[in-house]
Amino acid sequence: MIFDIKEQDGGMLATVSGRLDTPAAVKAQQEIEPLLQNANKVITLDCKDLEYISSSGLRLFLTIRKEASSKEGKVIIKNINDEIKKVFMMTGFFNLFEIITD
Amino acid sequence: MKQTDSCLTLPNDIETIPQLSEFIDIFCEEHGIDMSLTMSLNLAIEEAVVNVMTYAYPAGTTGEVKIQASADEDTLTFVLSDSGTPFDPTTKADADTTLSAEERPIGGLGIHLVRHLMDSVDYQYTDGQNVLTLKKKIIHQ
Repeated sequence: MIFDIKEQDGGMLATVSGRLDTPAAVKAQQEIEPLLQNANKVITLDCKDLEYISSSGLRLFLTIRKEASSKEGKVIIKNINDEIKKVFMMTGFFNLFEIITD
Repeated sequence: MKQTDSCLTLPNDIETIPQLSEFIDIFCEEHGIDMSLTMSLNLAIEEAVVNVMTYAYPAGTTGEVKIQASADEDTLTFVLSDSGTPFDPTTKADADTTLSAEERPIGGLGIHLVRHLMDSVDYQYTDGQNVLTLKKKIIHQ
């Protein structure tokens, strides 16, 4: 399991961990369903244990972000490591999300 | 550093991607590549290989993709070859990274990452094979 999802005050908290390579992202499409259903709230993606992300993983993040903007919700990404930050910069994802560090 | 070669052949099944990642990790370790560059290479090569696995062969048919990795004094070279439909990924338009979330298309990021992570990406179609050559210069400390 890559996305471990809990309800929290005002929205949803997903702890994202491990390697989000292509096969993992295909499987995780099911896992993000509760986040899409609650995309009118604040969704926090805590990535402190996310080691790797491929374009198919980025697509999951973008899917959540698109759903949130259509339902007037919000997506916050917390604690991405430097390597993943580099990938976010390279793809312009850095500007699409609210990115914070604890 | 002398010229060395490693080779891996995978079927067109994305479930085999962890084998690719292990292959790249071992190759990088053997050549003293740091963790940051190892991750970049993993990402670029995964994207290029997934592209072949997804598009080179008609749905429902099996095919292979071969990955050859080599290193000389200052350059790492990865050559991907497959016998699928001729397709030059280097001619694909680059993703527009300035668009808003609402405007961003859901696809097209894979080849964008390959281009930005590697120093050169060259495509050739020879002897019925798609051959994609990815190069990265090593900066010695």
